[in-house]
Amino acid sequence: MTGKRKNPTTAGSGAARAGSDGPAGAKPAKPSAAAQRLAAQRALAAANRERQARQRRLLTVLTPIVAVVLIVAVLVVVKLATGPSTPKSGTRAAPAANAVQAAVTGMPASVLDQVGTGTVASVPSALPGPPLTADGKPRILFVGAEWCPYCAAERWPLAVALSRFGTLTGLGEVTSSPTDVYPNTATLSFHGAGYTSTLLSLTAKEIYSNQVQGTSYAPLDTLDAADNQLFSTVGKNGFPFLDIGGRYLVNTASYDPSVLAGKSQAQIAAALSDPSSPIAKAVGGAANVLTAAICRLTSRQPAGVCTSAGVTAAAAVLPAAGT
Amino acid sequence: MSRPGPQRRVGLSSLIVATVGLLVSAYLTYEHFTAATTFACPESATINCQKVTTSRWSHLGPIPVAVLGLLYFAGMTLLCLPVAWRARLLVPVRVAAASVGVLVALVLVWIELFRVDAICLYCTAVHVCALTLFGTVLWTTAELRAAAVPAARLAR
Repeated sequence: MTGKRKNPTTAGSGAARAGSDGPAGAKPAKPSAAAQRLAAQRALAAANRERQARQRRLLTVLTPIVAVVLIVAVLVVVKLATGPSTPKSGTRAAPAANAVQAAVTGMPASVLDQVGTGTVASVPSALPGPPLTADGKPRILFVGAEWCPYCAAERWPLAVALSRFGTLTGLGEVTSSPTDVYPNTATLSFHGAGYTSTLLSLTAKEIYSNQVQGTSYAPLDTLDAADNQLFSTVGKNGFPFLDIGGRYLVNTASYDPSVLAGKSQAQIAAALSDPSSPIAKAVGGAANVLTAAICRLTSRQPAGVCTSAGVTAAAAVLPAAGT
Repeated sequence: MSRPGPQRRVGLSSLIVATVGLLVSAYLTYEHFTAATTFACPESATINCQKVTTSRWSHLGPIPVAVLGLLYFAGMTLLCLPVAWRARLLVPVRVAAASVGVLVALVLVWIELFRVDAICLYCTAVHVCALTLFGTVLWTTAELRAAAVPAARLAR
């Protein structure tokens, strides 16, 4: 029996060529060290490129953000360096014209009854604490500033309401600040005004004028210690401050002051006799509400005022008096 | 195209900022239309929201600026929704809108400082939202572009 010998050449060469033409299922040869180094270098380069791309993206985003922040910072620095805008003086106060005084202190009862609560936006809030009195009568304390636009609005209905319980004299005419909201609102001034009544006591102070002094407005009337305490603790030093007998507080305008925009005192006063006028509805409505509040302190006297249709309607929206 | 992890988080941030801006704008709009009950002169005039929001600069024609801000953030909230981030056509729209928002905020800051002479804190919060939204939109857009480049190379 003869056996075939394997050709040592072919047997050996078959094993040597296993990496390229080897039979299926054969394991690939391990990469050389050089190939491994090359792969590592490529991975590192890719990571660097990704990091640089990320930094470029970050720079693209941060650059406009920083620019905006710098612009705002510059604006603020310039503003601080130049200081606040200097306020401007309003029209200097003068005695109210006779027609204005008469129209305000004598607003027709029929008009007040027709407007009812009118366009009142805010009613007095109940005030807890001791009553505010003087000479055995409920005391009304008003603290305003002639520059203040909201005081400008509130003085009209206050003057109307007070005139239903007594006699107001010596009212002034003035305009609110030309640089604040609702600029140059025509209004009255209680500076130097007088009031006589058997039912009420009135203290009405305008503690700042509308005339600029330095960077603020010139002081005008002064409050005594007790009234100053009330103004700061109850009123939080905000204008207007109206304390009705220690029972009700008014520290906002009762209606939208824009209804008075562009009007003179004479025009406002003339509008008070027209119940269809937006001014009459605003001022008259607020006056009825203030009157209703005062009526609760005067035992509903005078009866003709406190039982009128307008005051009765206003009383329905008034909260119970503070105790 | 699958969205990488970091870009999804930034996209969410822009939506959150837009929503915050929308809520603050809604409050400012509410205050604008109900301000009649708070007419008072504060002792300090520097920070005076009411002075700012009732000034003659508070309207663009007949439209209150507060309402314009509300519409802006409502639009940006829609543009920052996840479904909107997938729409390529909206990319330039979103970036342009965010840029306009920042520019308008700068103008309003100038008006507060040099015309109204008072600062409104809520308005400042809206301006900060506009700036933050601008930043998150730019970043997300840049990340989206970076993620799209390798995909484009693979597609070739």
